[in-house]
Amino acid sequence: MPNALQLEGVSKSFDGYKALSDASFTVKWGEVHALLGENGAGKSSLMNIAAGLYAPESGHLLIDDNPVRLKGPADAARERIGMVHQHFKLVKPFSVAENILLGLPKRAGSHRARLLETERLVAEKAAEIGFAIDPRQTVATLSIAEQQRVEILKVLLAGARILILDEPTAVLTDQEGERLLSTVRKLARQGAAVVLVTHRMSDVKRFADRVTVMRGGRTITTLDPAGIDIAELVKLTVGESPSLPEHTRNEAGPVRLQVRGLRSPERGGRRILSGVDMDLRAGEIYAIAGVGGNGQSELANVLMGLPEPCEGEVQVDGLGDLLSASPAQRRELRIAAIPADRYGLALAGNLSIADNFAIGQVHNGRYGGFWRLREGVVRADTRAAVERFDVQGARSPGQKAALLSGGNAQKLVIAREFSREPNIVLAHSPSRGLDVRAGAAVHQRLLAARDAGAAVLLISEDLDEVLALADRIGVMSGGRIVAEFERPADRQAIGKAMVDHA
Amino acid sequence: MPDIAPTAAPRQPLASRRYTLEIRQQMAWHWQALILALALLVGLGISTAILVAAGVPAGELLNEFVLLTLFDLQSLKAVLFQAAPIIMVGLAGCIAFRARFWNLGLEGQMIWGGIAATAISLFEVGPEALRLPLMGLAAALAGLAWALAPVLLKLNLRVNEIISTLMLNYIAANFLLHLVYGAWKDPRDAFPYSPQYRPFERIPEFFDGYSLAIPLALLAALLAWWFVSLCRAGLYLRFVDANLRVATANGVPVRQVIITSVLLSGSLAGLAGWLVAAGQESRLTQAFYQGYGFSGILIAFLARNNPLAATIVALLVATLFVAGRNLQVFYQIPFSMVQLIQALIVICVASSDFFIRHRIRRTLGRDA
Repeated sequence: MPNALQLEGVSKSFDGYKALSDASFTVKWGEVHALLGENGAGKSSLMNIAAGLYAPESGHLLIDDNPVRLKGPADAARERIGMVHQHFKLVKPFSVAENILLGLPKRAGSHRARLLETERLVAEKAAEIGFAIDPRQTVATLSIAEQQRVEILKVLLAGARILILDEPTAVLTDQEGERLLSTVRKLARQGAAVVLVTHRMSDVKRFADRVTVMRGGRTITTLDPAGIDIAELVKLTVGESPSLPEHTRNEAGPVRLQVRGLRSPERGGRRILSGVDMDLRAGEIYAIAGVGGNGQSELANVLMGLPEPCEGEVQVDGLGDLLSASPAQRRELRIAAIPADRYGLALAGNLSIADNFAIGQVHNGRYGGFWRLREGVVRADTRAAVERFDVQGARSPGQKAALLSGGNAQKLVIAREFSREPNIVLAHSPSRGLDVRAGAAVHQRLLAARDAGAAVLLISEDLDEVLALADRIGVMSGGRIVAEFERPADRQAIGKAMVDHA
Repeated sequence: MPDIAPTAAPRQPLASRRYTLEIRQQMAWHWQALILALALLVGLGISTAILVAAGVPAGELLNEFVLLTLFDLQSLKAVLFQAAPIIMVGLAGCIAFRARFWNLGLEGQMIWGGIAATAISLFEVGPEALRLPLMGLAAALAGLAWALAPVLLKLNLRVNEIISTLMLNYIAANFLLHLVYGAWKDPRDAFPYSPQYRPFERIPEFFDGYSLAIPLALLAALLAWWFVSLCRAGLYLRFVDANLRVATANGVPVRQVIITSVLLSGSLAGLAGWLVAAGQESRLTQAFYQGYGFSGILIAFLARNNPLAATIVALLVATLFVAGRNLQVFYQIPFSMVQLIQALIVICVASSDFFIRHRIRRTLGRDA
């Protein structure tokens, strides 16, 4: 098969940090080529260069073996390169067809006529590749998986033949992911070139024709995934094999957090939370499993103190009602919160690491009274925590938090939240988007907190994570807990509970 | 010559470009200061060119602008005299904007400050010795009160503060006219202003003709700086500024922080009104506030909402005012030229942001 897209000896740095050094990568027509690596290995940077979003400092880009220079995404589109980003770039109040029309080159004809034409094209293309999409639906009303389909249709209708998908399965359930990857594979069989950026070994193993492994900004090797087992792939990406944390069942203590009949207001005939009942005990990890979008995010927000209108009871040992507690009272309870959306809820990216650390304990006077902020103590504490929790890439406490990679940002959140021995830990998808090693470090911290007597609530869509950590598992579906399992739990039974009640 | 023009643009190798742009996350503060200074220089350079084109002799310009304004004792006094209320409105802007509250009502709050101070004088509230501080206190409270409604409306009913504060300016300005043309008009002559304050109701000079207003404004700047950087509220304020949801999730008392800083902003603007009325005009006039609201916003922007930087920028703006007035007297240059120069400088500084956010690197491509 001839080469579609070739990157040779590409280097790129951000603010002195070398994201890519001498990386090379080739995808051929007709293949699904996986780009595998940990967070921060440089996968997205390399593909952003291929999509014309970043300009490299050195190196060549070849399309059909011709050297090409991309000045921007428009040039990339002209070369028929299309990228589907991890964070979708859609205009939410617009319809599917309008979003797609936005990405098409300008042509003659009235807007109305072109929109109708686009609607027809979308419906045709969607039918052709087996996507169920109504071109007139507003994007805001679509699920994540549907929005992703819109993104893919967008690049296909713009004429893309070289398709770059950045972590496409990260936001999908297992079934959705499988369907998507089969579709993508079909596209490749019809002649397109597909780059699959991922850190999931199983996706690579099952759907990729070739795989290129990246580590620390370099491309390590390219090989056929059929000829290598997962353990070896893991070894290649992380440099060493991580071990699963040991898990022994603890004797659970008294109930620390009791949720009864938690419901959110009715909207469009249904409630997002429709009566959650659960008990969280000291010294245990209670995990909530379920297909995404069944109320997990709303439950996490309510428990983490975000204003979310709802009724019902959340009783906390030693305080009473959590819903009406002030921020100060919540602090007193020593609740550690690890939200799923790191830069949306946990860290202020534009502020320094020290500020982001200090906000955790400034309330209790550790950093001076109300009239004073003891910058020296803040910095010393921050340095100590960065050291203890192995936050890499933090060159100084004054550095912006946004400069940390995903895994290290998560470590900073945990460092802050665990800086006072927590009574209750609330963790929502704590290892999402993290590489194997960073994820394992997060799991260790959760287990350590449990062993120290904290009550840990783990809300996760990753069943492997749930099974590895939980003492008890509640399955959430349709806004409530529909089944509970004790460790050791049967994977099949949990999976059945997740879909049966939907 | 045979036609050999290619039909499409030639495909160039990727690395032939010699300069690349990088997004920069962080920059040392002294570099930022240098870039800002350069931007100011560029703005002043363009302004100079315009002034020369408008007929001011180039040689005289240096004389007028720099020497006469800064090294002449009389002009220096004039600059400092002018600067105190400008510093105050600049600080008022900084503190409100830090809480993501776009307080465009600085003028309205100033007007109420002036009105309240004048009321204390007119109705002879309090003993003579306490009259002036009482006027200041009344001004601060009046400014605060005028800022209270917009912040409560915003927090409770999500009323856009840009509209509410801006519109409240008109109410304040027309009420001011109502007073100076009506009940509070000076009976001794025909002009629309209030009776003159008594000598002990004016801000005194403290050292051979320097108004006490300047040390007061500097003190306010120090307090504002302490508020935003050295105390716990400052940390809270940084989180409110950076990301409201993160602040909420981390237990920052968001509501209290916003209310406190907006009220502080309002009272600083009220104090600015007092500084103009009691320090410069010695009475309530119909247009004493004009231009301050815009300058306050501009200063806060140029100073990146930093109170200490705002003080310096305010001094520059005051210099520009005084120099502009001199130019007006000697060369018949219209005063709107001052506003043009202000605008030019703002545009230059705003553009300089590009160099703070990006890094331009020279790269040696392999085949370049």
